[in-house]
Amino acid sequence: MDDIILRAENICKSFGITKAVKNVSMSFRRGEIRGLIGENGSGKSTFCSMLCGIHTVDSGRFILDGEELKINSLVEANRKGISIIVQEMGTLPGLTVAENIFLGNEDRFIKCGIKNTAAMNQEADRLLEKYGFRHIRGNSMIDNYTFEDRKLVEIVRATYFDPKILVIDETTTALSQNGREELYKIMKRFREEGRTVIFISHDLSEVIEYTDTISVLRDGELIDTVDSDKVNEDDLKRLMVGRELKGRYYRTDYGEPVSDDVVLSVEGLTVPGEFEDVSFKLHKGEILGIGGLSDCGMHELGKAIFGASENRRDTVALADGTRINSICDAIKHNIAYTSKDRDNESVILNETIRNNICLPSLDKLAERGILRHKKLDRFAGKYADMIHVKMTGINQFVSSLSGGNKQKVVLARWLGRDFDIIVLDSPTRGIDVKVKADIYTLMYELKKKGKSIILISEEIQELMGMSDRILIMKDGIINGEILRSPDLSEEDFIAKMV
Amino acid sequence: MTLSEKIQQLKTHKVYGRYYGVGLLVMLAFLFWAFFKILTPDNFGSWEALSYYLQYSIIYSVGACGVYFIVTMGLFDFSIGANVVLSSIVGVILSKTFGYPGLIIGCVITGIIIGILNGFIYVKLKIPSMIVTVGLMLIYESLAYFVAKGEKQSLASDLRGLGVAPGNIIVSAIMFVLAYLILKYTKMGTYAHAIGSNENMAKNMGVNINKYKVLGFVTQHFFVGVMAILAVSYGTSMTAVTEMSSMARNFTPLMGCFFGVAFRKYCSPIVAIVIGEFIISIIFNGFVALGAPTTIQNLITGAALLIIVALTLRSVKGTVVK
Repeated sequence: MDDIILRAENICKSFGITKAVKNVSMSFRRGEIRGLIGENGSGKSTFCSMLCGIHTVDSGRFILDGEELKINSLVEANRKGISIIVQEMGTLPGLTVAENIFLGNEDRFIKCGIKNTAAMNQEADRLLEKYGFRHIRGNSMIDNYTFEDRKLVEIVRATYFDPKILVIDETTTALSQNGREELYKIMKRFREEGRTVIFISHDLSEVIEYTDTISVLRDGELIDTVDSDKVNEDDLKRLMVGRELKGRYYRTDYGEPVSDDVVLSVEGLTVPGEFEDVSFKLHKGEILGIGGLSDCGMHELGKAIFGASENRRDTVALADGTRINSICDAIKHNIAYTSKDRDNESVILNETIRNNICLPSLDKLAERGILRHKKLDRFAGKYADMIHVKMTGINQFVSSLSGGNKQKVVLARWLGRDFDIIVLDSPTRGIDVKVKADIYTLMYELKKKGKSIILISEEIQELMGMSDRILIMKDGIINGEILRSPDLSEEDFIAKMV
Repeated sequence: MTLSEKIQQLKTHKVYGRYYGVGLLVMLAFLFWAFFKILTPDNFGSWEALSYYLQYSIIYSVGACGVYFIVTMGLFDFSIGANVVLSSIVGVILSKTFGYPGLIIGCVITGIIIGILNGFIYVKLKIPSMIVTVGLMLIYESLAYFVAKGEKQSLASDLRGLGVAPGNIIVSAIMFVLAYLILKYTKMGTYAHAIGSNENMAKNMGVNINKYKVLGFVTQHFFVGVMAILAVSYGTSMTAVTEMSSMARNFTPLMGCFFGVAFRKYCSPIVAIVIGEFIISIIFNGFVALGAPTTIQNLITGAALLIIVALTLRSVKGTVVK
């Protein structure tokens, strides 16, 4: 049997004038875990979506097991033995777990047009049991489960029929450590069974640890394919970016004192069921990190500080005693917020970059109630350029931007409001190293200008690298405080997080 | 334990939780019955009267079962009433020659043709369903007028068996079971919810969106065609109307459908539709018994629907509601 299971030959794809994939040729072996990395917009997701039938190939071809692949949908790809776990939510609310698992493939349970629901539920339960997800039941509505559990259902859906090739597209950012471990187990099982995994991730350490080989794409072109055990993160960054990108792109200053001026005071803040009795003070020009496990309550804390929680108790107040009780209060008093759920809570995908940037500033941009487009264009253009948003123009729709550039649009929006305090929740989630570096540089510049930042993150390295002070949350309460120091280690954090 | 917590416990109880939705609806029906019975004990709510209210409501329940497919998909259809009028008129005309088969086939086939037209034109023109169906409604109203030659069409007295018990109950029961089976045991049921939930994702999962939307319209109008049989058998005649007057017939089945949507989490939507329409019928007849003018009846019925759905849906604070 030929060791090569899949060959991509001169694959090309364009979206309008944008060439997303340019003449990419690669081979994949049986039993291989191939990492696929690149900056946002490098073409890796587009390449995989063509392989899975989500997008059509403009030119070139895929050869699977010696036969040219001609598919037009994900279901056809499944039938050929190719499957994908997508980055965003891939289950449908309003359906049961079993219906989600077998969606598009119900025919095996259908006789004379009638679906054997009991058999479908039974088969779903058997699969969930086999994967060790016993807490999930086939006949339950998917809506009853958490985001992570729904991702686990997706994993079952994508793998239960033992596809020859499994594509995992930046899925691990959505999972807790437990969820990731389950996914790694499945990847290893695939390898042992002689199946192939294509693993896309921005977490370079994860890619190095769990893959056999790594292919690097840049600007739609294949740069190189390397052995995972022969490279380090800096090598990969250099290949991705095309120039030297220093391994340490966090702050390098230590020992700088933080101002004593308190800009924000949080006292006894509680959201029932999420976190309880959180108190802290934020100082001028301080980067205050908040870290913990994904369900420790820190994301909900960020929302609550911004006034976006419905049943929040006790106070968030500015230095002058002004209470922040709502989003309107927050914005009026120059507090900004970027959500972890970028696509649903931070940007309006079906709107232009200009409108996204101008949205919270319309009251100051309007002249006697009238909005002049030239003024909006200038305003948005200024801040988009300041932060180097990669775009075709200010009227480009945000939906066509990469994740990193969407995040830049969000930051540009708040720069336009000239905020004093910003709550950044997972600002570099799903973003490539170059844009991460840009965001960290911006954070440091803002700190130098006296802006205060609350940085909420699940990445310990990021918190260690950027924060003046870090609060660790566990099970909804503050469990520890760590000051910035070059001698910090991950163990210092984990002890308080777990 | 607060009332809210007690209700939540009841909803999630292993035994009683399964009957929470039905129990709540039955209790609401009883409460409304009791309210009007106290106010006008002689005119309202006897066993015979309740049977009458039920037989009146099941006409719309049948239509509501069909409407559920379209509403679940996130679509609108304003031609339901026009279908009832046109199908009834065609059915009555054919019944003059072919008796019951003419009535039944005329109504059902007309309904199916309307469903095919609505679905086909919607997917081909790619115009919002609301606009497509308003335009088609005007066409169907005019067609009904031409077919009826502007005259009232009366059903022969010996062909009105499906307007009274047990004929109407048997037909309705068959339709309810059919709707239940389609929802639970066919791809149509799964895909209707999938399309309504996230059309793009459903498409990526291989669901043929256009095909199932057309099927959704056909299914809806098939049920509305049967509703037309029951409506004209009960009412004994049908007059063609124009200038969008048929839209008045849209709302009662639509209201029943909303019960199905609101209670889907707790029980079969078909059960919720049937009981919901019965509640609407109780309220309507209660006001008739009180001698209230029609405008007041409509006002209170609409308010009751809003209150019931708002109390039962109780969206989580902060969720987006459109």
